Amino acid sequence: MRYYVQRVALAILLLLAVSMLTFGALNVLGDPLFNILGPVAGDVNNPDSIKMIEVAKREFSLDRPLPVRYAIWLSDFVRGDFGVTFSSTGQPPVSGVISERLPRTVTLVAMAQFFAIFVSIPWALITASRAGKISDRISTLNAFFLVAMPNFALAVILKYVFSIKLGWMPLTYVADDPLRSRLFQMILPALTIGLPVAAVYQRLLRTDIITTLQQDFILLARTKGLSRPRILLLHALRPSLFSFITVVGLNTGALIGGSIVSETVFRIPGIGSTLVESVLRNDFPVVLAIVMIVASSFVVINLLVDFAYTLIDPRVRR
Amino acid sequence: MSTTNNSAGNQDEVAKKKLGFGFWLCVSWLALMVFIALFTPLLPLKSPTSNFLDSSQGRPPYAPSWKHWFGTDKDARDVFSRTMHGARISLTVGFSAITAGFLIGGTIGVISGYFRGWIDRVSSFVFVVLLSFPSLVLAILLTSLIERSLLTVSLVLGLLSIAPVGRLARAATMQYADREFVLAARQIGAKDRHIIIKEILPNVAIPMSSLALLGMAVAVVAEGGLAFLGLSVEKGITWGGLIQLGSDASKTLEKAPWISFFPILMLFLTVLSLNFAGDRLRTYFDVKEMTL
Amino acid sequence: MSPAVPDRNEVEPLIETVELRTHFRTPRGIARAVDGVTLQIRRGQSLGVVGESGSGKTVLSRSIMGLLPRNGVIREGSVRYGGEEIGNRTPKQMRSIWGREMAMVFQDPMTSLNPVMKVGKQVTESLRLHLGMSSSEAMAVAEKIFRDVRIPEPTRRLNQYPHELSGGMRQRVMIAIALACGPNMLFADEPTTALDVTVQAQILDLLSEQIRDRNMSMLLVTHNLGVVAGYTDEIAVMYGGKVVERAPTKVLFSNVKMPYTEALLQSIPRMNQPSHSRLAMIPGRPPDLVNPPTGCRFAPRCAYARDLCVREEPPLVQAETPDHTFACHFPVGSAEYHERRVELNRASTTTAEVL
Repeated sequence: MRYYVQRVALAILLLLAVSMLTFGALNVLGDPLFNILGPVAGDVNNPDSIKMIEVAKREFSLDRPLPVRYAIWLSDFVRGDFGVTFSSTGQPPVSGVISERLPRTVTLVAMAQFFAIFVSIPWALITASRAGKISDRISTLNAFFLVAMPNFALAVILKYVFSIKLGWMPLTYVADDPLRSRLFQMILPALTIGLPVAAVYQRLLRTDIITTLQQDFILLARTKGLSRPRILLLHALRPSLFSFITVVGLNTGALIGGSIVSETVFRIPGIGSTLVESVLRNDFPVVLAIVMIVASSFVVINLLVDFAYTLIDPRVRR
Repeated sequence: MSTTNNSAGNQDEVAKKKLGFGFWLCVSWLALMVFIALFTPLLPLKSPTSNFLDSSQGRPPYAPSWKHWFGTDKDARDVFSRTMHGARISLTVGFSAITAGFLIGGTIGVISGYFRGWIDRVSSFVFVVLLSFPSLVLAILLTSLIERSLLTVSLVLGLLSIAPVGRLARAATMQYADREFVLAARQIGAKDRHIIIKEILPNVAIPMSSLALLGMAVAVVAEGGLAFLGLSVEKGITWGGLIQLGSDASKTLEKAPWISFFPILMLFLTVLSLNFAGDRLRTYFDVKEMTL
Repeated sequence: MSPAVPDRNEVEPLIETVELRTHFRTPRGIARAVDGVTLQIRRGQSLGVVGESGSGKTVLSRSIMGLLPRNGVIREGSVRYGGEEIGNRTPKQMRSIWGREMAMVFQDPMTSLNPVMKVGKQVTESLRLHLGMSSSEAMAVAEKIFRDVRIPEPTRRLNQYPHELSGGMRQRVMIAIALACGPNMLFADEPTTALDVTVQAQILDLLSEQIRDRNMSMLLVTHNLGVVAGYTDEIAVMYGGKVVERAPTKVLFSNVKMPYTEALLQSIPRMNQPSHSRLAMIPGRPPDLVNPPTGCRFAPRCAYARDLCVREEPPLVQAETPDHTFACHFPVGSAEYHERRVELNRASTTTAEVL
């Protein structure tokens, strides 16, 4: 019990540190006033501009010292008020922007993880049982290539082959389309992120399965007259999954990073592409909110992976 | 005597002993890339920014031909030359980033691993904080806030590699710090600084250096990603940037895929070589599987 | 293709090997782990195979059962089960025999049982696969078998994991798994070596009881002659990949012929020895299976070896009774043996005097 509490406390501490760093970086290295008002912010001779500057300063608490601003932001943030976006065309609430776009990213990342897991497990099983043979070596080479190809490059290639040349997949994501076609439109983006990750998973799982296959209880399973597929699936797989599960959890961060690129290439309005847009526009509240959400999910997932470990292995259970 | 025949295992053991043909092939490619990156201005390349309009061919982009080996882009700029120039920034950033990361992260890691105590606790916490962002997110965040020059982008990516490198250095140091020869050195009254430099560093440097190539691969990919999103060196020609320009509009990608594909090819081959060579080195020095 | 064992084979052996050889390809050369073993096991008979590590006894049992990998293994000679040749069968073909007709019990029950599967399931798996039972039927049978092998609280134990059981109980589970489908032949590979001494006897008792009740044959592999003493009908002693002596158990202990067997017998600590007496050891190490010595393989370590022993390999010959065979030029009880004995005694007494 104490272990769990400690880990949760550490996670909260971590998130606070993350938020402080990000808030600090944005406000110190950037110029919020400029982002809200544009060139007006520097126009200190014009009395109208000065009035606008004063109004903006009060509204966004820019006249207070940094730590106070942080505290204000934090208290708002934990209550779900992410502030408003900095944009000269009116200021919609950030939370609205996020709640509209977050589900798409979550779906994309979930699909990618799904593909990665369900491709890597059979792949690992097959190559492990044929370890050392030609098919295994070819597969290792393929996996290597897949990992060497950066996300964005893979996205471009896949887009070219499947959308443009073969026409199997639609070119863009249309937010107004019905659910089914939207999910279909996400297949290619999800594969872009998921395939390289699948290669990583497969490599690890294959090694673990090979190790497990050397164990005595596998020999016993053979003496029971069980067939090879049965032995692989029912006896070899489960004991080999421990590192796999840890890696899957930890890799969610890489998937989130990949979604940024994938959403940009395939034009999906999720929080990944929004992050890039806002960053280029210096829209601090949005950037801050997205960074915090991403970091929080990362930390929470790592925590869950830790806890899940105790559930998977019955030997560790008590 | 073993009654199971580990044919895969035996072959792996044999492979460990020599670096192999593949390794040297990759090293040659990397040497070529370094050469190009260093000497680009001196090479007989067409200008990367001039427009080579040729009315006899109609409107650009022009497909690959003897005049333009990699073809041209929409503004009739020579893709081959631009790709070669792209090697410069991409490789320089990659190299500088990983060097900075190793120097700083490595130092912090070794010191925390050796001295432990509050230094260790603080640096470990810092590492964990850095690692709780997906690295691309942090890179995007930081590069958007600064003036993006070769130096600053390299530093940002270097900052990102401090945590993974530092952790590894710390773990490797802790392994050695407990060993007998260090205890023995302490007993003769050797100073800590002396022990670190003479005893620990050489032992830690070996596994770390074999990871340097792998780290550089990560840095090159990271820079590519940033460049693709428009967040790398301002006004610089980078592989990521070239890829983005060639694929932004579907029409461009459809009609003139070569604009993106050649930079993709160069990037891919470079990262592949770094990965493969780094992996070979790692097996050669028998470093345990450590993820960067 | 599974050969049923018809009753007319009461006379014909259940298992028969003829000049079985199992060689492994190693980086140093070909290791002749089993180098020409001929034996028969009849229905209901139990054979103990005794030898040091490296004698080839484990390889023998796995070779007969056909469990060795295909890569790097050369098998020659014949293996027959119920009169049919199984030596050249593929693993796929052997699968109908494994579990159903033949079963194996391994040395270390902790590593031989699947750590993440409940033990009950590990038993019912065979039942459902080979005998087509339903889940509930199989569980009922599994519970009965657990009772047969004397696992206390069988119903509760069925749902436990291996790490929740003691060493002795785990071994009983392994035996239960082996017996589940009622095989005709049981291979026991050092079944008690990993257990406490007190538990060892219980397990061996259990094994003999089950064999008797089910009219099963057993091949019991061990390095410990003491283990086979009360529990097997016949004993075969292996050295350097060959069988060097074979006899019914009582005969072997009373009329040992081969000096190696004699040395093994003498190295068993006895209750009636005075305390602090030195344990008799066999000096030297087992032979190199890649380059075995010429002539008799035990000659380099044999106290009674002569020139002939190093030159010519002794053939297997019969002793006084037809079911007792051995391979030795100058066996225990021969004139040359006694000559050497006298010399040795004189040498040891002289040293004693000098000391």
